[in-house]
Formats: sequence, structure tokens, C-alpha cells
Amino acid sequence: MTDLDPVIHAQARLRIMAALSSLGDDDRMTFPHLQQILDMTAGNLSVHLTKLEQAGYVEVAKSFRGRTPTTSAGLTRRGRVAFDDYTAAVRALIDPPKEP
Amino acid sequence: MKPVDDDAPPGSPAESLELIQRGRVAAARTVALNPLLYYLPWGLAWLIGFGLLFLRYGPHGRVFVRLPDWLPLVSLFSLMALAMVSTAVISAQRGRHIEGRSSWQGSAYGFAWFLAFAGVGSTMPRFADLLPEPERGLLWASVSVGTTAVMYMAGSAIWMSRDMFVLGAWLTVINIIGVYAGPGWHSLLVSVGGGGGLCLLGIVVWLRMKVALR
Repeated sequence: MTDLDPVIHAQARLRIMAALSSLGDDDRMTFPHLQQILDMTAGNLSVHLTKLEQAGYVEVAKSFRGRTPTTSAGLTRRGRVAFDDYTAAVRALIDPPKEP
Repeated sequence: MKPVDDDAPPGSPAESLELIQRGRVAAARTVALNPLLYYLPWGLAWLIGFGLLFLRYGPHGRVFVRLPDWLPLVSLFSLMALAMVSTAVISAQRGRHIEGRSSWQGSAYGFAWFLAFAGVGSTMPRFADLLPEPERGLLWASVSVGTTAVMYMAGSAIWMSRDMFVLGAWLTVINIIGVYAGPGWHSLLVSVGGGGGLCLLGIVVWLRMKVALR
């Protein structure tokens, strides 16, 4: 498994990328909900989201709902491409394409 | 490949795929509206409400079951009110956790439904009162079902859902046939074809989701 993207090829970040890949384009999931569905601590999720954001795979946005500040995260186009490439590479390792 | 930190890599490609599936399943319950809660309440409202209308106000004034005059419409509107609450609750739950494009699409689509029926409700009485009683009911029902069908087809373009387009087209077809068949028959067609169709679609989409998320 030498050619896999090292940023995505890590258990926690892979689960984050997979969850965010289920969202539509330009959609983001709120931080507390992402934390809840992935059963991660806030600190752990925050660390990994920062790493994914630094790689340009995830966009973290801060906004207000009424007076309550909310943080949400979603995949960037680059992140979606990287995740699709990663998934394809993993599938190819399990079921290598047949030589003609 | 050098790990970027101490987050352990999956042990094998199979484990990678399993983690991907787990992440997707966890998110899917938030992202997708529960089709049973979305379609079934409306399907049952139409099935029962229009079914009672058919039994009480059948073709050519025939009464199949001697129900109180008020019962069919009160049942239909009460069940539709419950369906509306169900749709509003599951849409709001989704909206609490998701931000961005689909959140705006959902809000605009919800308001479009409201405005479409505000238009129907405010213009129809002006014309319906000019018609005999059976045709008045047929006009209300056919315009409402036709508007619903168009909204589903518009929804298919927004949500890229072939199912919604098929549903809207199917409702349009049975609505047109029902109008030609006349009062009473229209109620039967909307009850069985429309209400049954909505229930069937809800169950099919739910089963499909269950298989995909297994």
C-alpha cells in the first residue's frame, strides 16, 4: 500500500473523509454532529480536520445561527477528487485490473 | 508511504474499505431523508382520504358507504396536516446538521410548495363556486394533485432524483385520466394510484437505502 495518499490513509481521517464525501457538493456538516456520528472527541476531530484543511481537502467554515456560533466542515473539490482516487486505489489493490 | 502523524493507517485495503463504508453509513442517516417518513404519511393520507371520498361521493352521485358528509374531507385534511408535520420535522432535523447548498435548496423548495398551494387556495374559490358540487370537488382535487405532481418533477431536477420525476409524471397521468373519467373515479384513481404510488415509492427507496448501507 505504498501509493496511497498518506493524509487520507489514516483511520480517523479516512472516516472523516468518508462521512463528508456523503454530503452534496458545497455542503458542510456541523462540527458537533460530525463528532457525534464518528464518535470522536472534539480535540481529536479538531486535530484531524486541521490536517485535512492544511492539505486542501476540507474547508472549515464558521458562521452564526442566530446568536450561536457554529463550525462546519465539508470536502473541497480537491478533497473529493483525492478521496475518489484513494477509494479507487484501494479497490484496485483488492481486485487488481486484469491485464489485456 | 510515510505516515504524517500517529493516526494509525488501516491494516489492509479491506479495512480501508470497511472504514469508508462505516463513515458513509454514519453520515447517510443524516444526509438522506428517511423515505418512510417522507413519502408514507402523504401516501396514507391520500389512500385513506381520497378512498373515503370515493366511498361517500362515488361516480354519478353513487354512495358506496353511508359515511357522514363531513368525514372524508376532515379525514383527508387531518391526515395531510399530520403528513405536513412529519415532512417539516424531518426536514428541520436534517437542516440542523447540514449547511450549504442543499440547505438553501431545501428551504427554497419548501417555500415553493407553500407558495404554490397558497396560489391554488386563493384563486380556486373564485371559480369553484361557479360549478355544480361534484365538478367543484373535482376541480379542487385535480388542480391540487396536478400542482403536487409538478412540484415533485421540479424536485427531481433539484435533487437529481429519477424517482421523484417518475412519481410526478405518474401523478400527472392518473390526474388527467381521473379528470376525463369524472368525479368519483378521480378520487379512486388518486387514492389507489396516487396514495398507493407514494407508499410504494417510500418502501422501495427505503429498501434500496437499506441494501446500499448494509
